[in-house]
Amino acid sequence: MPPFMIIDRRTMLAGTAGALAAGIVPGALRRAVAADGEFKIGLLIPLSGPAALFGPSNQGCAELAADEVNAAGGVLGRKIKLIPTDAGAAPAEVAKSVVRLMLEEKVDLVIGSHDSAVRQAVEATVKGKGAKSFYLIGNDYVWARNSNEAAKSYISAGGGTIAGEEYVPLGAPNRFEEIVTRIKGAKPDVVLITVIGADNVNFNRAFASFGLDKDITRLAFLLEENTLQGIGAESSGNLYSCMAYFANVGSEANQKFKAAMKAKFGDKVPQLSTLGADAYAGVHCAKALVDKAGSTEAAAVAAASQGLSFATAGGTATMTGRHVDKDMYLALCKATEFEVVKTFEKIASGQSCPV
Amino acid sequence: MIPISFSNVSGGYGSLNVVQELSGEVAAGQVLCIVGRNGVGKSTLLKLLLGYLPCRSGVVTICGRKAGSMAPETRRGLGVSYCPQERPVFDDLSVADNLAVMVQDGRLAGYRHFFDLFPVLERRLAQRAGTLSGGEKKLLSFTRGLAEDQPAVVLDEPTEGVQWENIQRMADIINDRKAGGTAFIVVEQNLSFAELIADHYLIMDHGRCVLTGPHTGIGRADIVKHLTV
Amino acid sequence: MDPLIITQILNILFGVTTLAMIALGLAITFGMLGVLNLAHGEFVMMGAFCALVVDRAGAPFLLAVPLALLVCGGVGLVVELLLIRPLYRRPFDTLVATWGLSLLLRKLAEAGFGLGFNSVAVPLAGTTTLFGTDYPTYRLVLIVICIAIIAALFAWYGTSRAGLKIKAMVGNPDLARALGMPVKRLATTTFVVGSCLAGLAGVMVAPLVPVHPYLGLDYVIKSFFVLVVGGLGSVLGVVAGTGVIGGLDSVMSALFGSTQAYFTVLVVAILFLWLKPRGLFAHG
Repeated sequence: MPPFMIIDRRTMLAGTAGALAAGIVPGALRRAVAADGEFKIGLLIPLSGPAALFGPSNQGCAELAADEVNAAGGVLGRKIKLIPTDAGAAPAEVAKSVVRLMLEEKVDLVIGSHDSAVRQAVEATVKGKGAKSFYLIGNDYVWARNSNEAAKSYISAGGGTIAGEEYVPLGAPNRFEEIVTRIKGAKPDVVLITVIGADNVNFNRAFASFGLDKDITRLAFLLEENTLQGIGAESSGNLYSCMAYFANVGSEANQKFKAAMKAKFGDKVPQLSTLGADAYAGVHCAKALVDKAGSTEAAAVAAASQGLSFATAGGTATMTGRHVDKDMYLALCKATEFEVVKTFEKIASGQSCPV
Repeated sequence: MIPISFSNVSGGYGSLNVVQELSGEVAAGQVLCIVGRNGVGKSTLLKLLLGYLPCRSGVVTICGRKAGSMAPETRRGLGVSYCPQERPVFDDLSVADNLAVMVQDGRLAGYRHFFDLFPVLERRLAQRAGTLSGGEKKLLSFTRGLAEDQPAVVLDEPTEGVQWENIQRMADIINDRKAGGTAFIVVEQNLSFAELIADHYLIMDHGRCVLTGPHTGIGRADIVKHLTV
Repeated sequence: MDPLIITQILNILFGVTTLAMIALGLAITFGMLGVLNLAHGEFVMMGAFCALVVDRAGAPFLLAVPLALLVCGGVGLVVELLLIRPLYRRPFDTLVATWGLSLLLRKLAEAGFGLGFNSVAVPLAGTTTLFGTDYPTYRLVLIVICIAIIAALFAWYGTSRAGLKIKAMVGNPDLARALGMPVKRLATTTFVVGSCLAGLAGVMVAPLVPVHPYLGLDYVIKSFFVLVVGGLGSVLGVVAGTGVIGGLDSVMSALFGSTQAYFTVLVVAILFLWLKPRGLFAHG
């Protein structure tokens, strides 16, 4: 047995589709195992550059998960040691979006959970609000386009129409006045938003300043706590977000998670969001996978992913087949807070296995 | 008080000493003509005197004040006007603006006398200075510098490209001002012009002084000998 | 006319005028002093944070203007004296120095305010009906203010004696010094004015965007394109450059979409660098 095994990204994807995210990039699990002693997990997190905003949250949540795993005996009997590595970008690289970096890493991982979320959210708005026409606005890259492809099929299945669809470049200094004007002319019932980070803020502020927020519902698929802070109370009317985690989720598991974070960090609890929650889930997933596989051998890990259960901030997630079942939430923005209005329980990831 | 004096001045560009150990002075009402072939360091000497280049050694005194490391704009305040050889005017400005830019009220009344002597300038007041011929630029620069009416004037090749008729008028103006007590340092290639105005000569070669003295003691033959070697 | 077309025309106007406002300060320091201030965006960022501070304190938004002038002017003064002045005529050194400055200013903002997005409340919320279309009031006011500031600067530069001296100093600094112009003081003033304009632009955009330490990067890129197209050293160049870059961006964005607009702007900037490297209104 070699002193360490490299778990490549694709292998891990197979096992953890939809569960892992930015916080722990599977590629960073390389060199995870020393023959004895500590079980090292590389934690690729943004510590510099604009995305560093999410670093503390990711690291804090991962540390909590590591503590919990260690208290329960560690991985294969060894204590987890997190090795944070800076995934932040060089200044020339950071041109635009604060979450761009993570999303570049995250894309493949989140698609699975997202097309399901899109379906639930779209159906909820069609039924709840009688929405007929939709306008799609996203950043021009794979996650947004895939989400929108999924959305379009659900919309047409539900008898709705697409009033417009457009994409803005990722990482460019975008302006949204022209797009908002087109939306104004198209008069859709709902705008589906898959722009991220600063673009998400800019779009929503422009949207509201043109007074469109009164008549048109907005539904965003990556709108977490800090982005909402940037959008601001005056621009967040009639705005929904659909994700697997909100800090305000009232579930027992989340209360426990938040209490544990509070106990660990006291007043210095980092802003909790879906990104940190994913880092937490990632560590637990790694433990469950490796424990079950009994080694970090790639094939064994892949095999172990079947039927695996592990802790997440939102509760226990289970992999059935190669899907992850987890709860999704639809939240309405109240000023700069999320208020969960609907819970979609045990949503199965639709992503097929890439290996 | 001596308007400009310099002793043992050395300096140049980078580590190169273009000018070496030069000394001289010009009294009120006198003209010092600096003569020499191209590239012997005449313009460099003027730049050292006016503060565009730092002196590596030696002392420059302007109107009784040691210039030390004073900036060019400060030296002008001590009482010296300068008409450079290269880029003598503001090309982007009109002829009128070139003359008016530093005049308090922006009026050209003070230039009447010059316009009478050089009517070409008055005709071209509205024209962009960059479109003037080389000689006309020199006339404009000369007019601007002389009209500042300071105790010392430094001219770097003022007659380059100027018609002989106007060169004679320039000499007349300089001689008038000499009578009024103005001191001049003039770098000149045109010996006929130099002979009209010079009181003293400083003849340079390879950055050094090879001959200096009053014009009465230095004939054209002496100068030509150094210019052609 | 179709109200949507009017809205798009106003959008174009808004895009061009705000871009001009941001490019102006950059063009002034670049054109007048030959200093390519890579930290220009960070002065915009500081101006935006001034608006944030005023907003958080619950004070009237307009107070952000004097605060930003004070902060950006003050920082600009210190930077010119300590960093820029020793490096005049050393363009590459200036580039590196101002790049370092931009890092420092970003990190200081990060230390003071964190990396999170912040929002500044729009001072004139709501819309105004103009030619039969509703347009955000604040954006309308911004268009007017930007045009007023640029026109005033244009008029001042073109007609005042100070403008004449600046033109003389920029065109032939050695001769300007021979005439006794205080070139160092003029350079300092010019840099401070450029910094203040950036700060002012920061205050203006603060209610429209997420205020965060990296905000400046978004704006400075297009401003550089404006300089590439417009050329250096003239207000006319800035106006022409923003007209081309901002206009193309907005028009293409309105007609086709953001990706096409961004692509067009990049292609035009490259073509200018290639075929007309000195810009439409190159100096001299």
